[in-house]
Amino acid sequence: MRRWIILTVAALVLVGGATAGAFAAGLLPFGGGSLHGSAIDPPLPIVDAPLTGAGGQEVRLADFRGKVVVLYFGYTYCPDVCPTTLANVARAMKELGKRAEDVQVVMITVDPDRDTPEITQEYVSRFDPSFIGLGGDVERIREVATGMGVYFEKQERGSAGGYLVDHTATVLVLDRNGDLRLMLPYGLTGEQIANDLRWALKQ
Amino acid sequence: MKRTTILYGSILAVAVAIVALASLRPIRVLPRIAPAPGFALTDQNGNRLTSDDLRGSIVLYDFTYLSCHEPCTRTTATMREVQDLLAAETEDDPPVRLVTISFDPERDSTEALKAAAKAAGADPSRWTFATGDPNLMKLIVGRGFNVYYEQNPDGSFRYDPTLVLVDGWGVVRAEYRVGPPRAEHIVNDIRIVANEARKSRGPARLAYEATHLFVCRTR
Repeated sequence: MRRWIILTVAALVLVGGATAGAFAAGLLPFGGGSLHGSAIDPPLPIVDAPLTGAGGQEVRLADFRGKVVVLYFGYTYCPDVCPTTLANVARAMKELGKRAEDVQVVMITVDPDRDTPEITQEYVSRFDPSFIGLGGDVERIREVATGMGVYFEKQERGSAGGYLVDHTATVLVLDRNGDLRLMLPYGLTGEQIANDLRWALKQ
Repeated sequence: MKRTTILYGSILAVAVAIVALASLRPIRVLPRIAPAPGFALTDQNGNRLTSDDLRGSIVLYDFTYLSCHEPCTRTTATMREVQDLLAAETEDDPPVRLVTISFDPERDSTEALKAAAKAAGADPSRWTFATGDPNLMKLIVGRGFNVYYEQNPDGSFRYDPTLVLVDGWGVVRAEYRVGPPRAEHIVNDIRIVANEARKSRGPARLAYEATHLFVCRTR
């Protein structure tokens, strides 16, 4: 009798502990307890529109299916937020080591008047040669951004000759099916981004 | 004998727990329907109102054009009722905001929005009227919020009166389309989203996400 009680309690503790452990490690499908960003559960479909790559070819986000996509909307004249974020994402990719091969970082310019696809590609390559920079028609870019909750707007203030573009600084993560899976707030460190990407890679 | 008693006792206890969870529904969630669109609008005071400004707040949106009489006035009345019910709530965590978006920026100037807000009895700390770039309204309201509207040759609009509830992460959690929705029903939904935002942390998050698995998706 006593043995049964002990066994039952032991089994319960084991199952409970394992569940909590798996949850904390992000192994459960509806986990995300230790994430720095916010998981979107279930993953949500996005608006995809044709953009332009550095070679002038048409590129859609769906082309990256099979990889986890880290998506950022920025521009090359961006004074601080964009370089900081891209540097942190680059650090996260280093942290991931071999697993970074399953991640594709993409920046879409929100300033296509000044950023051609080539300039955007050249800019992101400086942070990591594997990064992809996309440009294209401002209306197509706006469709993709708006659909993901990202806005951008030209500001005529700013230094002589130049202008700034206000934009949402959130980093978006698409899962291997191309659905929106994670939203990372601005200001996460490389380690924190790597942590969340490890979780996204396991899904 | 005693072993079998314990065995059957445990099975019964588990069964009772499952039935209790299913029938009492201690956790209620609203489905995550779609990402809400990103936007930069101008409010009734001429200030910028962006989707980023509203992150962290639960937002109830309604869509209208100010020269409309029926059925726009019905959704405005519902917004007002929701505002009044919310004023009586003790909790405001996360904060709840109301936003009325005009999809007729050519006619609905900042002054017109201000007058409309006043006429509707909008509490400026909670309820904002806004509109934006005419070229972007279709993308934001039509595609982004999935609200149908079309301008008639006489300048009026055909449209589906719709209210949309968005959580603090910018995800659409409810859409009210058919008939004038009851304000009590909307406020109840707001409470569900607010409770989730407050309580869905640590181990409780596991229970919330498990509940999400059983919620149907509507779109």
